[in-house]
Amino acid sequence: MIQRVTQATLIRELQASVARMQRQLVVAQETVSSQKRLLEASDDPAAVARVNRLRGETRALTALSDNVAFGTAVLGAEDAGLEQAETIMTRAREIATQQASGLTSPVARQQAAEEVTELERSLLALGNTAVGGRYVFGGLVSGAPPFANFDDPGFAPAIAYTGPGDPFVIRSGTDQSLRLTTAGNQVFGESLLAIDNLRQTLEAGTAPVASLDEIENGAATLRAERASVGARLARAQSRDQEISGALNNVRKALGGLEDADLTIAISDLVQLQSALQATLAAGSALQTSILDYVNP
Amino acid sequence: MGLFFPLTIAREALLAHQRALGVVGHNIANVNTPEFSRQRPELAAIALGDRVGAGVRVADVRQAIDPFLEARRLANTSALAAATTGRDVLDRVQGLFPVQGPGIGDALQEFFAAADALATHPQEIATRSQFLGRAESLAGQLRGAAAALATMQHETDGQIAQAGRDANGALATIAQLNRSIVAAEVNGGTANDLRDARRAALDRVAQLLQINVIEQGDGSVSVFAASGATLVAGPDAATLATDADPMALGLDGNPLNRIGLRDAAGSVIPLGGALGGAIGALVVQRDQTLPTNAADLDLFATTLRDAVNAVQTDPTGRDLDGLAGVPLFAGSRAADLTVAITDPRAIAAARSANPGDNTGALALVAVGDTTFGALGGVTLTEFFGTVQAGAGEQARRADDQATIEKTVASALAAQRDAFSGVNLEEEFTDLMRFQRGFQAAAQLITVSNRMLDDLLGMMG
Repeated sequence: MIQRVTQATLIRELQASVARMQRQLVVAQETVSSQKRLLEASDDPAAVARVNRLRGETRALTALSDNVAFGTAVLGAEDAGLEQAETIMTRAREIATQQASGLTSPVARQQAAEEVTELERSLLALGNTAVGGRYVFGGLVSGAPPFANFDDPGFAPAIAYTGPGDPFVIRSGTDQSLRLTTAGNQVFGESLLAIDNLRQTLEAGTAPVASLDEIENGAATLRAERASVGARLARAQSRDQEISGALNNVRKALGGLEDADLTIAISDLVQLQSALQATLAAGSALQTSILDYVNP
Repeated sequence: MGLFFPLTIAREALLAHQRALGVVGHNIANVNTPEFSRQRPELAAIALGDRVGAGVRVADVRQAIDPFLEARRLANTSALAAATTGRDVLDRVQGLFPVQGPGIGDALQEFFAAADALATHPQEIATRSQFLGRAESLAGQLRGAAAALATMQHETDGQIAQAGRDANGALATIAQLNRSIVAAEVNGGTANDLRDARRAALDRVAQLLQINVIEQGDGSVSVFAASGATLVAGPDAATLATDADPMALGLDGNPLNRIGLRDAAGSVIPLGGALGGAIGALVVQRDQTLPTNAADLDLFATTLRDAVNAVQTDPTGRDLDGLAGVPLFAGSRAADLTVAITDPRAIAAARSANPGDNTGALALVAVGDTTFGALGGVTLTEFFGTVQAGAGEQARRADDQATIEKTVASALAAQRDAFSGVNLEEEFTDLMRFQRGFQAAAQLITVSNRMLDDLLGMMG
């Protein structure tokens, strides 16, 4: 306790109080304007390391979310393509069944052959289905389509596929991956061969008895692939929800560490302003001196 | 005892009160002078053996000084200067690792986000260009932080040399004032204002270096550095000097200064041990804090470089044209880390001839989740978070220390004001007291004069 108070003490204390409150006001104003309580590392060093980790997780989860969204689009396109391919195979089976009878006229077989040719063209087009210029049955590679054109010289189903053999895999979690593609020849190879054989049999004017089994095998492969795509699509959608939930949790934790409570921040600011005004008002009382009472 | 005796007493009283009024006036005039210590006239009766005394005199003009309090203030001055200097440097260091907005942490996250995009779209030139851009941004942030640390070290080194020169001025002043005080006090006087000036000079030295001060019997002071080296002895002051230390290279590769005392031969004898004060804090920041942060950045940069380059140069790695991968980052440390690839096609995102293969890019993404033994078993993100938190913790501790020292300084200043400061109310009260004394002495002269008049009138 100071027993003897001088003018210098009064002024110094006033200056120190005003300076301290002005510093606090600057911080309070910065907190309100930025809405962040963590403005620099020294504000809460322990929180900084956690914030960094959480930002890393946010970045990783956002990337995973993007990956899964892209994967969902690709798998959706594959599913749609495979559904159409199954329709083509159903029509091919119908034609094969109709033309398997020995009573069918040559003209009818030629007409059927022309329809099958279009089915083959359609199947090849489905094999070249692309999302954003990337072939979903060609390892998601862009550029040249993975399946050859039906009208190309020397076209043959066995060598029609020139895309990559490896699947395209994306990250769907820290230790999780999701296969997006299957090589086009594995998906459409049997179906193409079956339809091509059917076309050639019909063009030769013979009954396509053997084609029925080939078509059935091709359709079965398509169904199996579509089931696989459906399962992966469901997994992607499930992962999307999981990632979205995790992202919300991480953002909430991040906000808890670095975001300011605006109500508290504003009330702190107002309180500091009032305190500063009161201090300045009290400072004016320091003007009272013995000089006011002494007659020179 | 004659009739003139009261006149003599009155004259002495007038002179004593006149001098006392002068002392009060001196106090009032210096009410706002820093380091001024109030003075008090010591009035004493003039004794004449067993007879009635001969009035009053000013026996001495004493300063209100508490030597123990002054010693504590001097120690606190050094501690406060060290704390605030350290805080300022550390505040700048933590500014290199911002928590909000662009910085290394932000650039690192963007880099791995770009790697993720590359893994999803390995053939897209735009995605590849973005990845290269993010890599350049990260390398740029690291180079910028390393350059800033080197610049800060260079500035700190310059500040040490400048502080040494500033200290020399104050040390020379102390030596000069020692001479003047000894000369003024040799016949028993008190050189109060010279002592105040010397205290101010000692305070300036204490801000720069921790010192020990010992007052000698003749009124001079001897000043010693914390290591015991003599800075001032009576009328002689040592000279602080710096020279380039070939054994201590800075972050920019140039030799750093060492501070010491210049001997008669002109050589610099380094001051050993902790120096204290602003110079001590600057030396600690220059030699320990800044190099440690730079080493952390280098470790971060080289670990990132090695991990990413290992993926890029994997034997199976292939760029968009099917060529073997080349290192992405070049450089030996954070200060010279650059991106060596300029063609986005040259990024080895594939590990086969298939240009759509993304396994190389997936390996790049995995670098972000990899823990490194060199980093203490944590990921790059976690390591940077530790560096950032460490800088923040250091800045916070320094700020806390500065606040503590400032609080102590404020308390000591209040104590000094209480003991040595000028209080105008007191001074004006004294002013009236001595004025009344003066008036009474003048009245004594009037009365004595009338008595003489009465006596002389009897002769008429």
